[in-house]
Amino acid sequence: MRIQVRRTGGFAGIERHAEVDTSGRPDAQEWHALAERALASGRGTPPLGVPDGFSYQITVDGKTVYAADPRLTDEQRELISRVLKEGA
Amino acid sequence: MTTNGGFEPVFCTVVPPHVLDKLARHDDPALSGPARRTLMRDSELRGRRRVTAEFGLAAAPAAKAPSDQPLRTVYDAGHKTDLPGRKVRAEGAAPGKDATVNRAYAGLGATFDLYLKAYQRHSIDGDGLPLDASVHYDEKYNNAFWNGEQMVFGDGDGEIFLDFTIPIDVIGHELTHGVTQHTANLTYYGQPGALNESMSDVFGSLIKQYTLGQTAAEADWLIGAGLLAPSVTGKALRSMKEPGTAYDDDVLGKDPQPATMDDYVRTGRDNGGVHINSGIPNHAFYLVASALGGHAWEKAGQIWYDVLTGGELSSQALFNDFAKLTVAAAKARFNEGEELQAVQKAWEQVGVRIL
Repeated sequence: MRIQVRRTGGFAGIERHAEVDTSGRPDAQEWHALAERALASGRGTPPLGVPDGFSYQITVDGKTVYAADPRLTDEQRELISRVLKEGA
Repeated sequence: MTTNGGFEPVFCTVVPPHVLDKLARHDDPALSGPARRTLMRDSELRGRRRVTAEFGLAAAPAAKAPSDQPLRTVYDAGHKTDLPGRKVRAEGAAPGKDATVNRAYAGLGATFDLYLKAYQRHSIDGDGLPLDASVHYDEKYNNAFWNGEQMVFGDGDGEIFLDFTIPIDVIGHELTHGVTQHTANLTYYGQPGALNESMSDVFGSLIKQYTLGQTAAEADWLIGAGLLAPSVTGKALRSMKEPGTAYDDDVLGKDPQPATMDDYVRTGRDNGGVHINSGIPNHAFYLVASALGGHAWEKAGQIWYDVLTGGELSSQALFNDFAKLTVAAAKARFNEGEELQAVQKAWEQVGVRIL
């Protein structure tokens, strides 16, 4: 499973992008479960955020959903922070 | 589930008008309903602002005059995302041990002061709105924002960004998003979005200058000085004096801001480049303030404030709409003097034509 996160906006206006390929990873099952829950609560179109709030684009195997601060679900927040931290 | 402090986003600030128009015509009432309500609310607000400006009427008669003192409350989100968090400092309470809490409290006060003393505005809404801020939001959170009701500050990750309460202009920037929301309500996309961002940079910088008692010549005209971690190659996030020169770093990349229309960036990212093209009106403000000298909040700031709050600025204004209104405001406030010339010349220098 290929999980990509793109973060835009924020006070600095600096974009960040990272991705994790779960194939061959020992924790792949955990990633899959988290990614599916994050996708389920995502939206098909970018939500309306707040000025300087981060906007996120989460793509899992080609399927993209959108989310924005400060209204993320716990699953989205966890997935986003793990991908941006551990992804390349 | 993550809570959001009961906050409902102000839809009309974010969606570009052409998208709203299209949505409002959609067959699905779930899509057309909110879009129609947003358009109605938008036009109603604009109408009310025009009536207020032309007839000098208050939008709603105030029961009593708002106080000349701020009403601040700082909360500690405890590295979680539930807002507002635990109350840690109320108005008038002595400083505590947490420097972040103290900086947030002082920054809210400095913002309140500039708006009141320079422009006779009582708080963000002009009617004494209590100022709430939550610090220590989330873990290593690299951002700060105004959520429509209150301030939210992250601690930064320590690698790229430090604590977002450090630069006072960042606090002023975010609170000015609240002022814009309550006045011109500039749509947060494309040119109106870049104007929205620029308003926040202009008044954020003025709050810093006012606090330090600086003249235009003494000010650094930087946004976010002190926010970048020591390992980052850069002095700040944006420069109003020299847009595009604030940072140039291996990890962050290079400051993408243009100073003039020749380098205007067309992009769908960052809400249509709101943090990028804001460099153009930012630089125009810097040029006006520098030409006039002295305290920038007194003349240049007054002209910009008159336009932001005067009721004529549309929520969908483009750069040249805004420029035209600054010329009118300079005339109205200072007659045909050096102020008017400085405003005209600044827009010409950044390549914004006044039609």
